Amino acid sequence: MSAPEIETPVNEPIDVNPRAEDVIAFPTGLPGFESCRRFVVMSREDAAPLCWLQGLDEPRPAFLAIDPALVLENYRMRLGPADHQRLDAREDDPLLWLAIVTIASDDTATVNLRAPIVINPRRMMGFQVVPHESLYPLRHPLSF
Amino acid sequence: MLVFTRKREEAIIIGDGIEVRILRVGQDSVKIGVTAPPSVPVHRQEIYDLIRAENEVAVRRSGDLHKVIARLRERVGHT
Repeated sequence: MSAPEIETPVNEPIDVNPRAEDVIAFPTGLPGFESCRRFVVMSREDAAPLCWLQGLDEPRPAFLAIDPALVLENYRMRLGPADHQRLDAREDDPLLWLAIVTIASDDTATVNLRAPIVINPRRMMGFQVVPHESLYPLRHPLSF
Repeated sequence: MLVFTRKREEAIIIGDGIEVRILRVGQDSVKIGVTAPPSVPVHRQEIYDLIRAENEVAVRRSGDLHKVIARLRERVGHT
Protein backbone atom coordinates (compact mmCIF):
# COMPACT_ATOMS: atom_id res chain seq x y z
CA MET A 1 0.00 0.00 0.00
CA SER A 2 1.42 3.37 -0.90
CA ALA A 3 1.69 6.17 1.62
CA PRO A 4 -0.96 8.87 1.48
CA GLU A 5 -0.03 11.93 -0.51
CA ILE A 6 -0.32 15.04 1.54
CA GLU A 7 -0.29 18.63 0.42
CA THR A 8 2.64 20.34 2.08
CA PRO A 9 3.25 24.00 2.74
CA VAL A 10 5.64 24.13 -0.20
CA ASN A 11 2.67 23.26 -2.37
CA GLU A 12 3.96 19.96 -3.62
CA PRO A 13 2.43 16.73 -2.47
CA ILE A 14 5.02 14.52 -0.81
CA ASP A 15 4.72 11.09 0.68
CA VAL A 16 4.23 11.13 4.39
CA ASN A 17 4.88 7.73 5.78
CA PRO A 18 6.28 8.45 9.20
CA ARG A 19 7.91 5.94 11.43
CA ALA A 20 5.74 5.15 14.44
CA GLU A 21 8.29 6.76 16.77
CA ASP A 22 7.99 10.09 14.90
CA VAL A 23 4.24 10.39 15.42
CA ILE A 24 3.16 12.85 18.10
CA ALA A 25 -0.17 12.31 19.85
CA PHE A 26 -2.40 15.36 20.27
CA PRO A 27 -5.21 13.86 22.37
CA THR A 28 -7.53 16.83 21.84
CA GLY A 29 -6.35 17.83 18.36
CA LEU A 30 -5.87 21.54 17.74
CA PRO A 31 -8.60 24.19 18.03
CA GLY A 32 -10.54 23.98 14.77
CA PHE A 33 -8.98 20.58 13.98
CA GLU A 34 -10.10 18.54 16.94
CA SER A 35 -10.47 15.35 14.91
CA CYS A 36 -6.79 15.29 13.92
CA ARG A 37 -5.04 13.55 16.78
CA ARG A 38 -1.69 12.59 15.22
CA PHE A 39 0.97 14.90 13.85
CA VAL A 40 4.56 14.77 12.68
CA VAL A 41 7.02 17.65 12.68
CA MET A 42 8.64 17.92 9.27
CA SER A 43 11.51 20.04 8.12
CA ARG A 44 13.16 20.49 4.81
CA GLU A 45 16.33 22.31 3.85
CA ASP A 46 14.44 24.50 1.38
CA ALA A 47 11.90 25.62 4.00
CA ALA A 48 14.28 26.40 6.90
CA PRO A 49 14.02 28.22 9.29
CA LEU A 50 10.38 27.20 9.01
CA CYS A 51 9.20 23.69 9.67
CA TRP A 52 5.71 22.33 9.63
CA LEU A 53 3.40 20.33 11.72
CA GLN A 54 1.70 17.83 9.46
CA GLY A 55 -1.58 16.26 10.57
CA LEU A 56 -1.99 12.58 9.74
CA ASP A 57 -5.74 12.33 10.39
CA GLU A 58 -8.43 13.96 8.26
CA PRO A 59 -8.53 16.73 7.19
CA ARG A 60 -4.73 16.43 7.44
CA PRO A 61 -4.01 20.05 8.26
CA ALA A 62 -0.46 21.32 7.68
CA PHE A 63 0.69 24.18 9.87
CA LEU A 64 3.81 26.13 9.10
CA ALA A 65 5.71 26.70 12.31
CA ILE A 66 8.84 28.19 13.76
CA ASP A 67 10.73 27.99 17.03
CA PRO A 68 9.30 30.97 18.94
CA ALA A 69 12.72 31.59 20.52
CA LEU A 70 13.98 32.46 17.03
CA VAL A 71 11.30 35.15 16.82
CA LEU A 72 11.62 36.54 20.35
CA GLU A 73 14.84 35.65 22.12
CA ASN A 74 13.35 35.65 25.62
CA TYR A 75 10.08 33.97 24.73
CA ARG A 76 8.74 32.11 27.75
CA MET A 77 5.39 30.47 28.31
CA ARG A 78 4.53 29.18 31.75
CA LEU A 79 2.84 25.80 32.00
CA GLY A 80 0.80 24.69 35.00
CA PRO A 81 0.76 21.28 36.67
CA ALA A 82 -2.28 20.20 34.61
CA ASP A 83 -0.38 21.11 31.42
CA HIS A 84 2.54 18.95 32.49
CA GLN A 85 0.14 16.11 33.18
CA ARG A 86 -1.39 16.50 29.73
CA LEU A 87 2.12 16.05 28.29
CA ASP A 88 2.94 13.28 30.74
CA ALA A 89 6.02 15.43 31.40
CA ARG A 90 8.37 15.31 34.34
CA GLU A 91 9.74 18.57 35.72
CA ASP A 92 13.06 18.10 33.91
CA ASP A 93 11.72 16.93 30.55
CA PRO A 94 12.95 19.28 27.82
CA LEU A 95 9.92 20.49 25.86
CA LEU A 96 9.74 21.45 22.21
CA TRP A 97 7.92 24.69 21.42
CA LEU A 98 6.55 25.66 18.03
CA ALA A 99 4.62 28.77 17.01
CA ILE A 100 2.22 28.58 14.08
CA VAL A 101 3.01 30.87 11.14
CA THR A 102 0.24 32.48 9.10
CA ILE A 103 0.95 33.80 5.61
CA ALA A 104 -1.45 36.47 4.41
CA SER A 105 -2.47 37.16 0.83
CA ASP A 106 0.00 40.07 0.64
CA ASP A 107 2.83 37.58 1.36
CA THR A 108 3.45 38.93 4.84
CA ALA A 109 3.83 36.44 7.64
CA THR A 110 2.77 36.55 11.26
CA VAL A 111 3.51 34.20 14.13
CA ASN A 112 1.01 33.09 16.74
CA LEU A 113 3.02 33.63 19.92
CA ARG A 114 -0.11 33.71 22.02
CA ALA A 115 -1.07 30.06 21.56
CA PRO A 116 2.07 28.00 20.93
CA ILE A 117 2.27 24.26 20.37
CA VAL A 118 4.15 22.39 23.08
CA ILE A 119 5.48 18.86 22.65
CA ASN A 120 7.08 16.49 25.12
CA PRO A 121 9.52 14.56 22.89
CA ARG A 122 10.13 11.90 25.55
CA ARG A 123 6.48 10.84 25.46
CA MET A 124 5.66 12.22 21.98
CA MET A 125 2.61 14.07 23.27
CA GLY A 126 1.57 17.60 22.49
CA PHE A 127 -1.15 20.20 22.60
CA GLN A 128 -1.75 23.82 21.70
CA VAL A 129 -1.60 26.09 24.72
CA VAL A 130 -4.73 28.26 24.95
CA PRO A 131 -3.84 30.77 27.68
CA HIS A 132 -6.58 33.10 28.83
CA GLU A 133 -4.00 35.74 29.56
CA SER A 134 -0.82 36.22 27.58
CA LEU A 135 1.81 38.86 27.06
CA TYR A 136 2.24 37.65 23.52
CA PRO A 137 0.17 38.53 20.47
CA LEU A 138 -1.81 36.24 18.20
CA ARG A 139 -0.21 37.93 15.18
CA HIS A 140 3.36 38.91 15.80
CA PRO A 141 5.02 40.10 12.55
CA LEU A 142 7.54 37.53 11.38
CA SER A 143 10.76 39.40 10.80
CA PHE A 144 14.24 39.08 12.15
CA MET B 1 -29.58 21.75 25.57
CA LEU B 2 -30.08 20.70 29.15
CA VAL B 3 -31.14 23.62 31.30
CA PHE B 4 -30.62 23.64 35.08
CA THR B 5 -31.57 26.03 37.81
CA ARG B 6 -28.80 26.12 40.42
CA LYS B 7 -28.28 28.12 43.56
CA ARG B 8 -24.99 29.45 44.83
CA GLU B 9 -22.64 26.61 45.86
CA GLU B 10 -24.69 24.08 43.95
CA ALA B 11 -23.05 22.12 41.17
CA ILE B 12 -23.65 19.81 38.27
CA ILE B 13 -21.57 16.76 37.44
CA ILE B 14 -20.72 15.93 33.84
CA GLY B 15 -19.49 12.48 32.91
CA ASP B 16 -16.66 11.06 34.92
CA GLY B 17 -15.16 13.61 37.28
CA ILE B 18 -16.17 16.96 35.79
CA GLU B 19 -17.85 19.31 38.22
CA VAL B 20 -19.25 22.74 37.40
CA ARG B 21 -20.06 24.74 40.51
CA ILE B 22 -21.79 28.11 40.85
CA LEU B 23 -19.62 30.18 43.19
CA ARG B 24 -21.10 33.64 43.02
CA VAL B 25 -23.96 35.32 41.21
CA GLY B 26 -23.69 38.98 40.34
CA GLN B 27 -25.89 41.29 38.35
CA ASP B 28 -24.29 40.66 34.94
CA SER B 29 -21.93 37.80 35.62
CA VAL B 30 -21.71 34.45 37.30
CA LYS B 31 -18.56 33.06 38.87
CA ILE B 32 -18.17 29.38 38.05
CA GLY B 33 -15.69 26.82 39.34
CA VAL B 34 -14.81 23.92 37.05
CA THR B 35 -13.06 20.80 38.32
CA ALA B 36 -11.94 18.46 35.57
CA PRO B 37 -9.23 15.84 35.08
CA PRO B 38 -6.07 17.13 33.35
CA SER B 39 -7.01 15.25 30.17
CA VAL B 40 -10.05 17.52 29.81
CA PRO B 41 -8.95 21.03 28.87
CA VAL B 42 -11.25 23.83 29.99
CA HIS B 43 -11.28 27.08 28.00
CA ARG B 44 -13.11 30.36 27.87
CA GLN B 45 -15.07 30.02 24.66
CA GLU B 46 -14.17 33.39 23.14
CA ILE B 47 -10.44 32.68 23.51
CA TYR B 48 -10.76 29.17 22.09
CA ASP B 49 -12.72 30.63 19.16
CA LEU B 50 -10.04 33.27 18.55
CA ILE B 51 -7.32 30.63 18.35
CA ARG B 52 -9.47 28.31 16.27
CA ALA B 53 -10.09 31.12 13.76
CA GLU B 54 -6.35 31.85 13.56
CA ASN B 55 -5.54 28.14 13.03
CA GLU B 56 -8.09 28.00 10.22
CA VAL B 57 -6.50 31.02 8.54
CA ALA B 58 -3.02 29.52 9.03
CA VAL B 59 -3.79 26.30 7.14
CA ARG B 60 -5.15 28.29 4.17
CA ARG B 61 -1.86 30.12 3.54
CA SER B 62 -3.20 32.59 1.04
CA GLY B 63 0.21 34.17 0.29
CA ASP B 64 3.37 32.92 -1.38
CA LEU B 65 5.42 30.77 0.95
CA HIS B 66 8.49 30.88 -1.26
CA LYS B 67 8.62 34.66 -1.07
CA VAL B 68 8.29 34.55 2.71
CA ILE B 69 11.07 31.99 3.07
CA ALA B 70 13.34 33.93 0.70
CA ARG B 71 12.84 37.08 2.76
CA LEU B 72 13.47 35.27 6.02
CA ARG B 73 16.67 33.80 4.67
CA GLU B 74 17.93 37.17 3.50
CA ARG B 75 17.53 38.43 7.03
CA VAL B 76 19.02 35.48 8.86
CA GLY B 77 21.80 34.89 6.34
CA HIS B 78 20.75 31.54 4.91
CA THR B 79 22.02 30.91 1.41
